[in-house]
Amino acid sequence: MGVMGKIGETISAGAREYLTFRLDREEYGIDILKVQEIRGYEPPTRIANAPNFIKGVVNLRGTIVPIVDMRLKFNCSKVEYNSFTVVIILNLHNRIVGIVVDSVSDVMELPAESLKAAPDVDSVIDSDAVLGLGSLGDRMLILLDIEKLMSGLDMALAPDVV
Amino acid sequence: MAEAHQEGSGSGVDFDLSQFYQIFFEEAGENLDLMEQMLLSLNLETADDEELNGIFRCAHSVKGGAATFGFSDVAELTHQMESLLDRLRRHELQPNAAMVDVLLESADASRGLLARHQAGGEGDSPPTADLVRRISVLASGNVAPPQASVVSSQQMSTPVTTPATVAVQPVIVAQAADKPLKTTRSLEIRIGPLDHPEQADAIKELFRDIPGLGEITALTSNQADTRVFAVETSSSDEDLLDLFAFHVSRAQVAIKELDDVAAVPEHGDGIFDSAVGSPKMVSYDDDPPPGAPLAPLPGFGFFDGAPGAPNPSAGMTVGAVVGSTGSAVPAKAAAKPAASVVQPEAATIRVAISKVDQLINLVGELVITQAMLAQNSRALDPALYQQLLTGLTDLDRNTRDLQESVMSIRMIPMSIVFSRFPRMLRDLANKLGKKVDFVTQGESTELDKGLVEKITDPLTHLVRNSCDHGIEMPADRVRAGKSETGTITLSAAHQGGSIVIEVRDDGHGMSREKILAKARERGMDVSDQMPDSEVWMLIFAPGFSTAEVVTDVSGRGVGMDVVKRNIAALNGTVEIDSAEGYGMKVSIRLPLTLAIMDGMSVGVGNEVYILPLSSVVESFQVKSDAVSTVGQGAQLVKVRDEYMPVIELEKVFQVPRFDPEKSSDIMVVIEADGCRVALLVDELLGQQQVVVKNLESNYRKVPNISGATILGDGKVALILDTGALVRRSRH
Repeated sequence: MGVMGKIGETISAGAREYLTFRLDREEYGIDILKVQEIRGYEPPTRIANAPNFIKGVVNLRGTIVPIVDMRLKFNCSKVEYNSFTVVIILNLHNRIVGIVVDSVSDVMELPAESLKAAPDVDSVIDSDAVLGLGSLGDRMLILLDIEKLMSGLDMALAPDVV
Repeated sequence: MAEAHQEGSGSGVDFDLSQFYQIFFEEAGENLDLMEQMLLSLNLETADDEELNGIFRCAHSVKGGAATFGFSDVAELTHQMESLLDRLRRHELQPNAAMVDVLLESADASRGLLARHQAGGEGDSPPTADLVRRISVLASGNVAPPQASVVSSQQMSTPVTTPATVAVQPVIVAQAADKPLKTTRSLEIRIGPLDHPEQADAIKELFRDIPGLGEITALTSNQADTRVFAVETSSSDEDLLDLFAFHVSRAQVAIKELDDVAAVPEHGDGIFDSAVGSPKMVSYDDDPPPGAPLAPLPGFGFFDGAPGAPNPSAGMTVGAVVGSTGSAVPAKAAAKPAASVVQPEAATIRVAISKVDQLINLVGELVITQAMLAQNSRALDPALYQQLLTGLTDLDRNTRDLQESVMSIRMIPMSIVFSRFPRMLRDLANKLGKKVDFVTQGESTELDKGLVEKITDPLTHLVRNSCDHGIEMPADRVRAGKSETGTITLSAAHQGGSIVIEVRDDGHGMSREKILAKARERGMDVSDQMPDSEVWMLIFAPGFSTAEVVTDVSGRGVGMDVVKRNIAALNGTVEIDSAEGYGMKVSIRLPLTLAIMDGMSVGVGNEVYILPLSSVVESFQVKSDAVSTVGQGAQLVKVRDEYMPVIELEKVFQVPRFDPEKSSDIMVVIEADGCRVALLVDELLGQQQVVVKNLESNYRKVPNISGATILGDGKVALILDTGALVRRSRH
């Protein structure tokens, strides 16, 4: 239990910090404590017979890290890889996974009480994986439980969250 | 003895010894191993003091530790061994083979006892009474009765005690205790001056608890702070002092032989000659710290932090081991100050493998970064960037050196593996009635620790095979015109990026005809024209027992197919060479480490895949008419006289094609599990050593892929699982 753990405790008492990113025109937020680093996109090594949203694996300073393109996972209409495409490296249960997003926007603190439950809607995202909805002025922020999302069956990346 | 120690000093010392148990078990194991090695290499006629002292020290260290931690059965057995060894090193007895046998058996028994303690004291303890009796008989200078060794060999082969032995055990112990067979001496022992004279009474318990130590009677002393005892014992002064050291400082003990009064200083103030030179005792003697616990602590040199008791040798050892857990080591160092031979100081440290692996990973990353830097700097103008380029050259050299040194941490010499065989062969040869010399070459060749652990079993099997099936009985050897004693040679050597381990014997070798006949009997496809090398490889087929082919003696343990499979799992290969009547040779070729593999990179489309070089047989350019199809599906290619299934990597891995015009025309033949398939690829890119990385740690198992590696340009390349590809072709 290091510094990170302590920060986690103090924040969970009130507000949590979220890293927000964009996929097409939607804005998402994930727990900042799960984020290891943010990198530019580099073409990964393709893995045969993997789902299309798993782009392959890259070398992250000697570690082999799988790359998941969230835009393909969430059926975004436009998927481009350019110099602005960003990979967020996540550390989930000691597994390292990279996710591709259109851009990273901000780190913001949201008090727990300001979150609204997500209404049941038909979506590609498993409703279990949505923590809630937050408001940023007039924009909507979708807060994801990234561990649950990544341990979904078709991902089989992170072990099941108990 | 140990219980007495705990009773005697427990009131003043409230710490938990159990935290040091693990260290003791490790140390005792090492000492017993060392002792075994030294016993085996002992030359009986010309045993020198150095060797005998070394063996004695090992037994002594185990005894000291066992007594400290309360393992009285181990302490008792090792004490007996020590007594015998003590007489040997004093040249009171001439070492003989019977002694070596009984000492080796005792070492085994001690291991058994220790293992039982380590497991929490569950299960029956191995019987030691017979050993104790035999040692004491030998130590008394008599020849061991022949029936005793018969009993013990039974015990060795069946370590679980039979009820009959258990019933006999106490009787024998009683005999050993009642009738000490050694020459006894009468001593007067004076202990003091002491702050707490009651401490000295604890040594009476020593005599009560250790069978065969002797008799003790308390005498009245004219000084209140001193105790005097009359002792009848066969133990040496040194042994007694060692024992007493658990309770009182050695410097406070004066031993006077009643038969020979003049030899001992008459004033009883307790400076024993051999102990004077020991600095830590002098300092404590002069000024006992106020409120100090009981005397045993500083006297035993147990804590390096004991006030006023700096112990240089203990301090050094503690520094090398982890501070708080090093106490067993100084205990050992302090327990034998009289040993005149200076032991080399401990030059090793124990480190968790995970730490070393982390270091290796980090260095691997550093090497890749360095390679990238070197690549990017090539375009720079040397005139303008001279300093930068010089720096990069230095970096290159330093990273290489660093990588080499770090990799060498995991490397351990083959002698660790080899050292177990002399003992095994000795026992096996005795059992089979054969005469075998064991020769090792290249023991200092180093190999990755992970590999060493995995290669031990296959090697054991091969060496056993050589002794069991290869070497003939002495009479047969003489008849064949060979010397009576067979030779088994185990050698290790580096060859390129791999290590080659050979097991050779000069036995009767294998019979080509018998193997071929056996293979036909089993319905295998063989011909008389097969080259020798292929015939020998037949014995690796599952269920093809070498025993049935080569000798009538039944095979033991795993079969040769398991040996081959184990070695293949390490990316290694096996070759056999044999000449009937002259012996055989099994060569095992292994990569130096599991983490690095010789790979062949092949290009498919725009992608690069790595093939383990060990499974690549050949590669060739194929003409389109050489490939034929079966039932419009599976493709076969004719290579010389053999049809092999073709696997198109492009299809297996769904490689996208950008120029449909180009077609692959290069085939690489790979072999795994004894089957061959041809892989169709676009180009051969070259051979290189690759660092094997796990895909599963962050992703999951991918079909047909065994791992991944990082190429020189920083990109990831996947390593093909040749076994899976071959299996795939069968379905």
